Amino acid sequence: MIESDILERKMKLKVLQENLKQAVSLTSRFASSKAQLPVLGNILLKAEKESLLLSATNLELSVSVSIGADVSEEGEITIPAKTLSDLVVNLSPSTIELESKKERVKINSDHFSSNISAMNSSDFPAVVQTVGKNMTSLDRETLINTLQKVLYAASNDETRPVLTGVLVKFDKKKLTFVATDGFRLSTKSIIADNTSDQQSLILPKTALVEITRISSDEENIGLNFIKKDSQVVFGIEDVVLASRIIEGNFPDYEKIIPKENKIKINLAKSDLSQAMRLAGVFARDSANTIKLLVEKDGLTVTSESSKSGSQKTKIDAKVKGDIGKDGFTIAFNYKFIEDFLGSVEGESVDIEFDEVNSPGVFRDPEDKDFLHLIMPVRLTS
Amino acid sequence: MSSEDKKDIWKKSLKSIKVSVSPAIFSTWFVQTHLFELKETDKRYIANIGCNSSFVKSTIESRYFGLIQDVLSKVLGKPTDIIFSIKQIPQKVSQKLSDPSPLFSAKKINKEEFKEKLAKSRIRPGFTFKNFAVSSSNQMAWAAAEAVKKNPGTAYNPMFIWGGVGVGKTHLMSAVGRSILKSKEGASILCCTGEEFTNDIVEGIRNKSTKLFRDKYRMLDALLIDDIQFIAGKDAVQEEFFHTFNALVGSGSQIIMTSDRPPSEISKLEERLRSRFEAGLIVDIAPPDFELRCAIVQIKSQERGLEIDMDYVQLIAGSVDSARKIEGFLTRLMSEAKLKNKAIDKGLIENLMGKNSDGNGHTIKSNPNDLVDAVSKYFSLGKRKLLGTSRSRPVARPRQILMYLLRTELSLPLQEVGRIVGGRDHTTVMHAVDKITTIASEDINIRQDIRGIKNML
Repeated sequence: MIESDILERKMKLKVLQENLKQAVSLTSRFASSKAQLPVLGNILLKAEKESLLLSATNLELSVSVSIGADVSEEGEITIPAKTLSDLVVNLSPSTIELESKKERVKINSDHFSSNISAMNSSDFPAVVQTVGKNMTSLDRETLINTLQKVLYAASNDETRPVLTGVLVKFDKKKLTFVATDGFRLSTKSIIADNTSDQQSLILPKTALVEITRISSDEENIGLNFIKKDSQVVFGIEDVVLASRIIEGNFPDYEKIIPKENKIKINLAKSDLSQAMRLAGVFARDSANTIKLLVEKDGLTVTSESSKSGSQKTKIDAKVKGDIGKDGFTIAFNYKFIEDFLGSVEGESVDIEFDEVNSPGVFRDPEDKDFLHLIMPVRLTS
Repeated sequence: MSSEDKKDIWKKSLKSIKVSVSPAIFSTWFVQTHLFELKETDKRYIANIGCNSSFVKSTIESRYFGLIQDVLSKVLGKPTDIIFSIKQIPQKVSQKLSDPSPLFSAKKINKEEFKEKLAKSRIRPGFTFKNFAVSSSNQMAWAAAEAVKKNPGTAYNPMFIWGGVGVGKTHLMSAVGRSILKSKEGASILCCTGEEFTNDIVEGIRNKSTKLFRDKYRMLDALLIDDIQFIAGKDAVQEEFFHTFNALVGSGSQIIMTSDRPPSEISKLEERLRSRFEAGLIVDIAPPDFELRCAIVQIKSQERGLEIDMDYVQLIAGSVDSARKIEGFLTRLMSEAKLKNKAIDKGLIENLMGKNSDGNGHTIKSNPNDLVDAVSKYFSLGKRKLLGTSRSRPVARPRQILMYLLRTELSLPLQEVGRIVGGRDHTTVMHAVDKITTIASEDINIRQDIRGIKNML
């Protein structure tokens, strides 16, 4: 019987605590402890040749990490993620011995021994373990930098799945990332070599957040789209992350990017940042709404709360364009502006407005490929 | 097979599967599947089962293949083959953009809102600065309007635009109103004719609701009055307008008026009103010259999605003299081209032009002698000189015009025309007609001369 074979298959190996700790803390994030199917709360351990492969999945994302090991008997077993990580993290750096027998795993290290109940691996879903061929290679730092400028604009609203994803558009020599939650939009493009065909994919925000969190010394990230499985696979050194693709049509974002704007403003990031924090004190009570009054020589940020009071901050700014006789007033959710400011590298910020009810364009003069749109709050006059 | 049927079949199958597997397995794997496609062949069915992700697909495919095949075969009553693919459940996908998000619907809302505002202000939506062609005849008025647009209420207040019919007075005024409305959120603007203003007052007096009238007109940010000359001679109206005018100018609101003549020539206009009108900027718009008419033909044909060659544009501009007529001509040209399914070419345009003069009843029913008299009278030339042999220009040009008119208006044969004009050769006549036709398309004076002569008949 095959079934009993697996049960009987022993696994025996030695690994370093530092390596195991890193791998377990990464994979345990993907195991879903609340899943109805208990095996999904486990980490799959697979000993093969010279390495130990750890895998976990929440059925949307999966991760596989391979670490060097001294394998004396090949085999595989699944262990509850929480138990394993709580143990390994607290062990002192040394060699750890793992040994499985039936549905039990023994963990031994200096002055420590444990016996954990485990589950056989037959119920564990198949997890992608290699990036595959035809991958696009991206500079890791650039990718993470890009994602950090885009991800925060993606929606958390599960009723509109498309907006919880990030659009990744492959052009010749260019990759464009776009995220929007319907109130703001962030887009940045980067140069990428050997991107294959021209195509667009929507990747779940959660997968990309994980990419930014995986620490590694590796300079490049491999990216591969497997059409047959409608999956995208990322490879960073020994870590392989796979994610499903969100089906659907991403809204036509190019159409809403204003071509020409009436008013152009340039101001110091630190000034605007400070003004947002000050305005936030009162804006919190009024749905985060702040008003910007654009005048010839600067910007006045006002916010008020019926409960606690009001404030006014004046910022010097270079203002160009037609602001009308009494200046130009526009209202925003200050949290959105703060989010944007958090992603600006340079010392100054470019802002453009056209009309009171059309989106404001925010730019970072240091990064020409980055563009952010924020929908103003409608003012009732 | 309809999607409802497929849903139903899959629902039945799932119910049956639920019995065979544990609840955890069912809710983890099977809930994420749907029947994507079902094909029927002679004896078998082929079912394509859509799975939400590759994890679901690989697990179900490797472990529950037999179970699903058995259940489906039972439900469908025929042996069934199954294949698996990764497809998200359609309901979830199609939900995506059912409720519009502000960023993506902003443009639409803005546009609709703006249209509403325009309607409320009674500004014609088609009149913008963008589609206003500028040349020397209206440059001054245009520049003044641009200035008013930038600084309403301060630049030139009031602004008085006068000129003949169809020169673009209302267009310019509406464009200013539109720009003010666009740049200033919540600006209240009213565009009305002098006659409507009069009616409002009459109504107010009759219903004893003059206060309403005052509220309506005196709270405005800009008042645009078309054909102000209509209030002349109406004492009560002029008085009311005087007060409205003072109130508006006093509060820094912009006033723009149009008229068919300058304030100094509007008879029965009260002196105090006249002086106030003259205190602002008075600009006049001359009838469009040939170049401007060309531009107007181009703008208007573009608006209609009509493509006309530059040669034809000049042909039209040369023979149609006002913007309104150009509009009418293009409408007819378009419907003609559409109805008869013809390409727009010289023949069609000339044909329509011919129809135009026929249709308007402008044919001259007079004899050649009357025409000769009219020309000689118009140019103050003796008949003998006109029909004589002198080839100096002051004589030859009127003679050519005479030949042109005899040929085009009275449709006389070339020889007959030559005989009337002092026994000249038919080629001379042909030359004269061609010459006047080309000059007339470029030179406004000749056109005025021709019109003047026609009016004498």
